[in-house]
Amino acid sequence: MTVVPAQQTGGSGGTSGLYDVLELVLDRGLVIDAFVRVSLVGIEILKIDIRVVVASVDTYLRFAEACNRLDLEAGPRKSPGLPDLVGEITESGARGKSKGALGGAAETISDAFRQAREEGQEAPRRTTKRTASRKRQEEAE
Amino acid sequence: MTTYIYGIVRRSHPNPPKDMGGIGDPALPVRIVTGGELSALVSDAPENLRPKRNDLLAHQNVLSEAGAGGPVLPMRFGSTAPDDKTVAAVLEERAAHYAERLEALDGKVEYNVKATHDEEAVLHRVMGENPEIRTLTEANRQAAGGTYEQRLRLGEMVVQAVQAREAADAVEIQQELEGVAADVSVGPQSTGWLANVSFLVDRDDTEQFLASVDKLRGDHPHLDLRVNGPLPPYSFVEPGPAPHAAQTAGH
Repeated sequence: MTVVPAQQTGGSGGTSGLYDVLELVLDRGLVIDAFVRVSLVGIEILKIDIRVVVASVDTYLRFAEACNRLDLEAGPRKSPGLPDLVGEITESGARGKSKGALGGAAETISDAFRQAREEGQEAPRRTTKRTASRKRQEEAE
Repeated sequence: MTTYIYGIVRRSHPNPPKDMGGIGDPALPVRIVTGGELSALVSDAPENLRPKRNDLLAHQNVLSEAGAGGPVLPMRFGSTAPDDKTVAAVLEERAAHYAERLEALDGKVEYNVKATHDEEAVLHRVMGENPEIRTLTEANRQAAGGTYEQRLRLGEMVVQAVQAREAADAVEIQQELEGVAADVSVGPQSTGWLANVSFLVDRDDTEQFLASVDKLRGDHPHLDLRVNGPLPPYSFVEPGPAPHAAQTAGH
């Protein structure tokens, strides 16, 4: 395999760091209309990586569950600070999206989250991320 | 033979990565095509070029190597021309435009920052900020989880609060880091990040930039920040935030 470029990678690093760089190689950089670009059919799989919170019934139930399980004493408890901001921004949020591809992704994450909670792991979401990265790596090979 | 283009450098670049292994298997050697005061880093294009991982990496490595010796305009992966002559002609035709960009990017590198929430930490945070959510959670707990409607109502409130945090955090990340950067380029949304922002940073300021990232991490434990760099300035090959087409036409 080609040598991985020398770089400082923060966060989870490793494969995901490599993925972050490849995304830039594919998505950005100079495009000159006099040149022909290789077809990127099949590469879309690289970009499917839903991790932001999507409004749907599934997500609501998942978060209600997560709240019920949350150990309030374990984390920082701050006094209420931003109620106005919260009310304002949510108006523009994607409300009432029905179950679809995104709902499916949320479900998968939900399962991993619940499973990890039960196993007492400390970073459940990372588990999902690694699996996804590994999958992407295989797809890109 | 089709020519594959990696990037554009000044003709005076002290150390272009000539003969370095590029894309293809086996790796095709990098050549230099010169037109006017500019040079393009090229190699032959392999047949059936596809965005394979090793080729993407090779593209990136050639540009990193070139960037170490002087400014480089990175091409997006996969650009080919019918022959070297066509490449040289493009360099001469748009010399002024590319020279301006090389000047603007001289001594600078790109750092890409992506952010997600640590779910448990962000739940703690929104609960701390929102007494109504705390009250509802407590009520549901005492009612063995609550009815379907109660859970739905709590979940909706939490999701809205988390989404609001995503938006607020995206703004804050950019504000905190752009002070150390020469330029900022916000990446496409909806690829799964609450923030995906590239910063153009002077090589002399990289330590300060990374220190700002660390501070951000320390101040916001609910944020998972992923920083990649220094990279060739992929996101800054065109001036300003507007799409390329308009600008190339004007030059």
